[in-house]
Amino acid sequence: MANEFSVTRSTEGEITLLALEGFLDAHTAPDFEAAVQQEIDAGHTHLIVDAQELTYISSAGLGVFMGFIEEVREAGGDLKICGLQPSVREVFDLLGFDALFDIEADRASATARFSETPSGGTS
Amino acid sequence: MTNPSTLQGSHAGSLEALLENARLLHGSLELEALLKSLLRSVMGKLVVSRGLIALEDLSTEGTQCHVVVSRGFRELPQGCLFDPEQQHKGIARILTIGDPHKPTGHLALGKPLRGELGPQEIEFLEALLGIASSAIENARSHQRSQDLNRQLDRRVQQLRALLDLVRSLTSSLEPQQVAQILGLTLAGQWLVRRYAVIAWKEGHASAEKRKGMSSIAIEELASELEEVAQPQAVEQLSPGPLRQALEDNQAVVVVPLVSADRAIGLVALGQPAGNRSFEAEDLEFCAGLAAQAVVAFENAWYFAETVEQKKLERDLALAGEIQQRLFPSSLPQPNGFQVAAHNRPALQVGGDYYDALPIGETAPGDAEDGSASGHYLLCVADVSGKGVAASLLMSTIQATLRALLCPEIGLAELVSRTSALVFATTPASKYATAFFLVFNPEDGSCRYVNAGHNEGLVVRKDGTVEALLPGGLPVGLFGGGSYQEGEFSLQPGDFVALYSDGVNEANNAEEEEWEMDRFKAALLRLADGTADEIVQGTFAEVDAFAAGAAQYDDITLLVLKRDG
Repeated sequence: MANEFSVTRSTEGEITLLALEGFLDAHTAPDFEAAVQQEIDAGHTHLIVDAQELTYISSAGLGVFMGFIEEVREAGGDLKICGLQPSVREVFDLLGFDALFDIEADRASATARFSETPSGGTS
Repeated sequence: MTNPSTLQGSHAGSLEALLENARLLHGSLELEALLKSLLRSVMGKLVVSRGLIALEDLSTEGTQCHVVVSRGFRELPQGCLFDPEQQHKGIARILTIGDPHKPTGHLALGKPLRGELGPQEIEFLEALLGIASSAIENARSHQRSQDLNRQLDRRVQQLRALLDLVRSLTSSLEPQQVAQILGLTLAGQWLVRRYAVIAWKEGHASAEKRKGMSSIAIEELASELEEVAQPQAVEQLSPGPLRQALEDNQAVVVVPLVSADRAIGLVALGQPAGNRSFEAEDLEFCAGLAAQAVVAFENAWYFAETVEQKKLERDLALAGEIQQRLFPSSLPQPNGFQVAAHNRPALQVGGDYYDALPIGETAPGDAEDGSASGHYLLCVADVSGKGVAASLLMSTIQATLRALLCPEIGLAELVSRTSALVFATTPASKYATAFFLVFNPEDGSCRYVNAGHNEGLVVRKDGTVEALLPGGLPVGLFGGGSYQEGEFSLQPGDFVALYSDGVNEANNAEEEEWEMDRFKAALLRLADGTADEIVQGTFAEVDAFAAGAAQYDDITLLVLKRDG
């Protein structure tokens, strides 16, 4: 496919970091979904999605976030998002994701939020 | 803030205050901040402890009025309805903002702490409200344009989502993937956490993508779904199993997936997160996305079917290849006899088989112990079924025959044991009708077993035709069984024709069959030729009769002729 997308995984204590890169659209969303599912299946519910290298997100990409947030929070964890580029952030805000998700500036603040409000965010 | 004492004393002070307010009010495009600042100035200047500003709703053409800023009126908080005609506790004075006939809003004030307002104060207030009115209009139209911009942005986002969906659906050849892409797009677009996308087609596994809606067993609801032509709120569905199933799964919207008036699936969406809900425009857009997905589902199914079809074709080609390899590459030609045979497979690979095998290693004439050494086995068989399965059965029969064939075995026993082995190694539905013939080239004596096959035909030199009738059941139909042997003798110029029913049942375009009479007549006409000429001639006559009509069955003919 023309539009590349990748997920790079790393851990920091009990927190799993998923760093996204490239285009998260309807075509690549299934890959991202599989990556998150893998974490949840393994019992990892403290997740930070680092979107610093994410250049585009479509509704289907956002759909992945919607599909897991309830499950993760019910399990006492959270899915926090950080490092959004302005153009990507715009889509998050436009569809109302800012009210639902804990969106942080960078990894450090997202990690810090886990110690303050592990099951953070509204909803 | 201007000192009240100077206000009373001088017009200049009032003007100054007005100017300051005008600058302040017009400088703000944020409606609420603007009204707060207006109320603050008024309350400060006139020394009142209670005040509120209510604005006429834009949407209801000025028939309703809501409080936007409220200070000191506990019964009239922000957001509550406000009727300027009505008496309210604690309100001493209500002033209209904007044109009195078509007001923008109202300013309500409590009793001034300093006593009644003087005419100058009222004049000041009216002038201020005049300025405020245009500032409010400005702020409101700014908000409107912001709302419009936001709406536009959402529209653009919707179009992007549609475009993105279409782009990736066109490259999806898996129904499952189509369901996934549609589900994710809808969930992201409307902040939906629970949803289900289910599509089905006969002969295919249903394509499903579910989040938290596990108990919709939708195939049973398909007929009811056909009544739902458009995306709909679940609460608007007529009561029934469909609505019940959707409600049980906390779905609030159902989008039917419809292809050519047939329901092929559905999308169920749960409550959007936050305070959003599905508007008519959202449902319309859902319908657009669903329509795209329907096309993608149909394509994916069609693709799967095409692949299946191709597999079937490959299977048939392979079967044909196996079958052709089972036929002997050359036929034995014992002294004084000719053997010729031809098989023509039908369009779909059928299951005809013929073989010609010498019995024993020894040369003709060595048979002194009464064994069949130097004799030949000829065989024509028609196996059940088609394709690879038929070819495998053929190959089983061939291998069994060859393994069992030896000079010491009697023909009936050979057939019985072959039948038992084939029965034991293949499913019960697999069997073959077969004609077995053993001949001795020394004297032309023949023994045969007809295992449920077409009657063999002996054509005498004098033009009479004798039929060799069945003496047992098809091979492999039951385990073993007994077979009856028959005998006859080929005299010089006589021949015997073994064939499959594809010969006499060859059809023309009118679905007429060639039939035994025409077959026999053809054999008689060709009787003077060599075995090969009889075979070729018969095929030529069949072709002349069929005149190009497609044949459903293999055509096989084997001729053994004694030189005349």
